[in-house]
Amino acid sequence: MSDLDAYRTKAAAWLESMVPTYGKEARKGLSVEEDLAVARQYQRAKFDAGYAGINWPTEYGGQGLGHLEKVTFDTEEMKHGFPSFYFGISLGMPIPVLMQFGSDQAFVKERVLKALKGEEIWCQLFSEPSGGSDLAGLRTKAEVDGNGWKINGQKIWTSWAQYCDYGVIVVRTDPNVPKHKGLTYFWVDMKAPGVTVVPIKLVGGDSHVNEVFFDDVKITDDHRMSPVGGGFAVAIATLMIERYVATDSAGFGPHLDLFVDLAKDTELNGKPAIEDGRIRQQIARNYAMRSGLQSITARAMAMMQAGMVPGPEGSLNKLVAVRSRQKLSELAIDLQGSGGFHYDDHASQKENWTSSWINAPTGRIAGGSDETLLNTIAEKILGLPQDHRPDKGVPFNQIPA
Amino acid sequence: MSILYDEGQQAIATESRRVLEARVNKDELLPLLEVTGQYHDGFWNTAKEQGWTALALPEAYGGLDLGLVELGLIAHQAGRSLSGAPFLTGSFGAAKAIELYGSDEQKAKYLPGLASGETIGAVAFASGSSALPVLPSVTVTDHQLNGTKTGVAGGLAADVAVVYANGPGMPALVVADLSKVTRNAIDSFDNSRLYADLVFDATPVETLVVGGAARDAALHILALQAVITAHEQTGGAEAMMEIARDYAVTRRAFGQVIGAFQSIKHRIAELYGFVELARANCIHAASREGQADFITAAAAARISATEAYDSASRDCVQIHGGMGVTWELGLHLHTRRARSLAIEQGNLLFWEDILVDRLTGEAA
Repeated sequence: MSDLDAYRTKAAAWLESMVPTYGKEARKGLSVEEDLAVARQYQRAKFDAGYAGINWPTEYGGQGLGHLEKVTFDTEEMKHGFPSFYFGISLGMPIPVLMQFGSDQAFVKERVLKALKGEEIWCQLFSEPSGGSDLAGLRTKAEVDGNGWKINGQKIWTSWAQYCDYGVIVVRTDPNVPKHKGLTYFWVDMKAPGVTVVPIKLVGGDSHVNEVFFDDVKITDDHRMSPVGGGFAVAIATLMIERYVATDSAGFGPHLDLFVDLAKDTELNGKPAIEDGRIRQQIARNYAMRSGLQSITARAMAMMQAGMVPGPEGSLNKLVAVRSRQKLSELAIDLQGSGGFHYDDHASQKENWTSSWINAPTGRIAGGSDETLLNTIAEKILGLPQDHRPDKGVPFNQIPA
Repeated sequence: MSILYDEGQQAIATESRRVLEARVNKDELLPLLEVTGQYHDGFWNTAKEQGWTALALPEAYGGLDLGLVELGLIAHQAGRSLSGAPFLTGSFGAAKAIELYGSDEQKAKYLPGLASGETIGAVAFASGSSALPVLPSVTVTDHQLNGTKTGVAGGLAADVAVVYANGPGMPALVVADLSKVTRNAIDSFDNSRLYADLVFDATPVETLVVGGAARDAALHILALQAVITAHEQTGGAEAMMEIARDYAVTRRAFGQVIGAFQSIKHRIAELYGFVELARANCIHAASREGQADFITAAAAARISATEAYDSASRDCVQIHGGMGVTWELGLHLHTRRARSLAIEQGNLLFWEDILVDRLTGEAA
């Protein structure tokens, strides 16, 4: 058994032992606030067992292991529906950026440790009402205010902001230069005066994203994490931190086996639907697609193990998996006919086709829309040109609104 | 088996690409479309000279003892460069059937010739719309074969064929010497595949397997060939994707290169997805030979590779506009090959059924 296999086995056993306390069944019926409290205990348990900050330096409270161990643990963890999602953004992007770009090391270490233990949560304040994909077009501004800065504007789609203690934010500090050049990166205290968080209810019934308003929010200059005007580079560094994360060829929807079971148990024209060619074709095509993604992931893992850099094809995962899941979920609902109307707000999108279907659009938009991902593949991998951009090279305040 | 190519395998990929790009070009392939019975000598001579015919066969019979991974790499390049003859897959399938199910005498008789390329092999399993019929249309009695096999790839030039026959009353896999068999040439949309209807008339045959095992054997051979063909399809799809990309970054319209329009660039990015999924499935399938899930992996590779090649040839032509449909530009060589390879070794419908049967536990 390789070291990694041994690591996987040990992690899987530990996770298994956590199911009765922190698994989906154990948390059924809890309010979000109650669930978050349990989630904080789970995060603390991970920290105590050495499964928090797996690939982070030990000096920050991490385990000092590699990326492979991290992906391996995450892949195992994903099988159980643990409440790790409250900390996903926090530990995925803001905290690593803080470690890399934060100036006051004593402060940084304290924050990292509290975040690892689940005591504090950080959010990422990037998207705005005027633009998500067009990050550099953001309008929230920070103006010099004495020795510090004063922030005014609005962010949106901020995950878990209503429960967050801190956030990292990109704002415009100079509207007189082209859009990428006038941005600066800061951290902010989410409890500071002038910060207002308003949850947004999504189609699936939950409200994990928020609008965040900034009204004369004053911060000192030691909150700054980039040179003035150098914020875009740090924002991009944020997005590049985890190039290979744990993936799911089911697009975070139900496993294909569940569709096969449904097709076996459902009658179509007096026969089991599994005998219907239209259904069989969808099963076959989806299987081939998913096995391709799994093979891409397996190859990336093998390459990392061999000390090589995985190819760019890993970027296909989200694009291909989530939109296929959306269509398959539609078919699964179709298949149930008039029995397909039932809806449960609290059902898991990994187990319930209706929940998978109604939440699929979120998956296709959040963290890079299909269209943005296609642009990235076309431009970064295939060398195709950027779209025509009328705002290119134009000072931000002269871009036609 | 590892899913990462080692140095030797990477060298096979590099060398086959160098050789084929130097020796095969569209100007030699285009005329082959307009006649029946002709293939690209240069391609087949290269295959023999480079040892590709021997690659995946046992050393004891003149082979090189390598496997699906290596032959797959050759096939990938053959797909990129448009192989000029169907024998690499046909001979491989015939040889594997004899190697796996034949007697020592049969192996000694056929394998050295197939390994050197002196003998050309073909596989004749299909009957009309069925890739692997329940009761094949040709019948064996007293070691003699009677009946017609339709649409055999390489059938116009093959010396020997492994035939899936009615044995009688049960399936049988037999080897037929084709020297005295009537071959009716099919005038096809992809003539260098040398498609023929083979008319057997008291043709003497040697039996490899009879009974239920014959069907399993035939499916296994088909799956081995399907993995090779899937590599070839992926290579063809990759070539079409790259041709589309190269055109999109040079051709200008409305004051910019057309690759800057999302309708074009997204189309090509989607092709990248098809190609990489097919490649990943091919690599996986080639590494699963001999494992319980081999047929499933082969089916997945075949399905995604067929989707990739059809999609890439369709969209590449579309992106070229009017030029795409000219005879001279030759994109239709790929369009045609995408369809001919889609049918050889069982079409999408066949492999989808095989796959779903395995997934639902319906397969024996």
